[in-house]
Amino acid sequence: MRKAKLLALCTTCALAACAGDGSGLDENGRPEGESSGTLQPDFQSIQDNVFTPVCTGCHAGAAAPLGLRLEEGASYALLVNAPSVEAPSLQRVQPSNPDASYLIQKLAGTAAVGARMPLNQPALPAETIAVIRQWIADGAANNTAVGGSAKVRFELVELTAVSPESDEVVPGPVRDVVVASNVELDASLLQSSLIALRASGGDGNFDSGNERVVPVDATVRSDQPTVLAITPRLAPLSADSYELHISGTDPVAMADLQARPIDGDGDGAPGGDFVLRFTVEMTQ
Amino acid sequence: MRSGTVLRNICALVALVLVSSLHIARAEPYFAVREGLKCASCHFNPAGGGMRNAFGNGWAQSALPARRIEGTGTDAWTGVLSSFVALGGNLRANATYTDVPNADATSEFELQELRAYLAISAVPDRLAVYIDQRIAPGGSQNLEAFARYTTKDQRWNVQAGQFYLPYGLRIEDDEAYIRQVTGINFATPDRGVQVGYESAQWSAQLAVSNGTASGPEPDEGKQVSLRAEHVQNVWRFGAGFNNNHTDAGDRQMQGVFAGVRTGPIAWLAEADYLTDETLGPVERKQWVGLIEANWLVGKGQNLKLTAEVFEPDTDVDEDEQNRYSLVWEYVPFQFVQLRVGARIYDGIPQNDLQNRKIYFAQVNGFF
Repeated sequence: MRKAKLLALCTTCALAACAGDGSGLDENGRPEGESSGTLQPDFQSIQDNVFTPVCTGCHAGAAAPLGLRLEEGASYALLVNAPSVEAPSLQRVQPSNPDASYLIQKLAGTAAVGARMPLNQPALPAETIAVIRQWIADGAANNTAVGGSAKVRFELVELTAVSPESDEVVPGPVRDVVVASNVELDASLLQSSLIALRASGGDGNFDSGNERVVPVDATVRSDQPTVLAITPRLAPLSADSYELHISGTDPVAMADLQARPIDGDGDGAPGGDFVLRFTVEMTQ
Repeated sequence: MRSGTVLRNICALVALVLVSSLHIARAEPYFAVREGLKCASCHFNPAGGGMRNAFGNGWAQSALPARRIEGTGTDAWTGVLSSFVALGGNLRANATYTDVPNADATSEFELQELRAYLAISAVPDRLAVYIDQRIAPGGSQNLEAFARYTTKDQRWNVQAGQFYLPYGLRIEDDEAYIRQVTGINFATPDRGVQVGYESAQWSAQLAVSNGTASGPEPDEGKQVSLRAEHVQNVWRFGAGFNNNHTDAGDRQMQGVFAGVRTGPIAWLAEADYLTDETLGPVERKQWVGLIEANWLVGKGQNLKLTAEVFEPDTDVDEDEQNRYSLVWEYVPFQFVQLRVGARIYDGIPQNDLQNRKIYFAQVNGFF
């Protein structure tokens, strides 16, 4: 019996090859200096090498599955600290915790709901998933040129509708409205009533007197730059036209950490309200 | 006295099933190697996994546990409610501690899965519908759902629907390189048709599927999976082939696997060579391998030592990864398995995740 145990131990260990010493390789195990297309554990690289070429075949536009757009400019806001629709207890990307990130579970095929991603192609190679894991483990920073770098100085504080986009018709129900800034906003202002969401009352018109206010909660999903999630407090948005209003004028205006108000109306000068209109259609 | 009656009932059931050459149970490949049974015959699915049949449940109550506990009656669970209906289930709950270099360690309790199995045999042993449904965590998800026709001599079968693809050793650990890198695991069933052949010493399956892991099919490309295994009492040898043809390129795998019993140790081994055109501008060639020793420490106890190797790119030196696992498995009584183990990842030093350590305890309930 003892011989058998020793045989098992020795043989099993001996047959396993030694791990590579990593010489001449980057942290992804690829040769240093390999073409610039090599996947790196940063968001821009993952966007360029995975999300854009692989995922946006489906996850793009107003009808992106589960509202998850992975095209450039929208993906970060809809991934990082964003709750999964399939498994609401999990975030799609939880910075510093790849094991708890639903994105990793979907790519690795270990998610509790739905099929492994990408649906229409072979599974991503293990090393690609490892790079995405590494990015998340490193804190899931946003290094895209759109405003990820804290060193970039913007003259104006701008807001961009990520999902839904302006005047877009999207399938319902809509669980949240995501708006991104180009800088870090003053999160303390979210305590005031400068964000309002109204439903048209079914006629698509916002001045006919039958509008109703939709109570919302606003949370910061990520900063540098800030991503805001405006979530209906009572229930996801059903079929109707909606208007989101973020104040950029007195008495209380959304502003950045330097107290510069947003250029909400896009006139090239600080101030002005940010208005986003969109329509929800129920497809089922 | 009552205990003896139950045991006799189980033994009789086991003997009956053996004699009639119906499906033979295998909860994991090493069980089959240890018992000298065919790999493909202990579950309803010819390639293993999912619902256990009557023999599997009988064996799990008599031969597998350290001891039996008794209920209030004398009946023993077989999973077979009638000639037409059979049920089964699995639950795995984990406590995991993960240590990644240069990062804070994490610990977590999780419900890995709760699955239910249902087989309805409209014509017993000939025509059946089978469902494998994951109920928790999260929402319900169908893993397998297929209809199967079996010839009268039980040698040939054909099934259509959604099912796990036949390839290599169907071990429980989906994170093993041979399961993760190949992409053939319990998380990636696919939709298609499968033809199977079963004889006393041969088990083979050929499947043609969408190649989309049960997602929608966007092109004409299909995935072909082939698995063949020759089984002797002490050893077995098999080979697998898989080609997934897509608009993005071909991904092909071929591998061999084997099992042998040496005294109290059941050995498993598999090696696969992959070529993948979808990873970049040039085809990438990869290797994965596994060798596993399962030492029968005592009745109801197994000590599993596993070593794995992953070569991500044969054209790149010094990028190899290893994974070592030591797992103690204990079945204190029927239908309950406790697992405690450690998995050590050993990769290139500049990648922390390739050098993480995972310690876990698991409760596995099955019936």
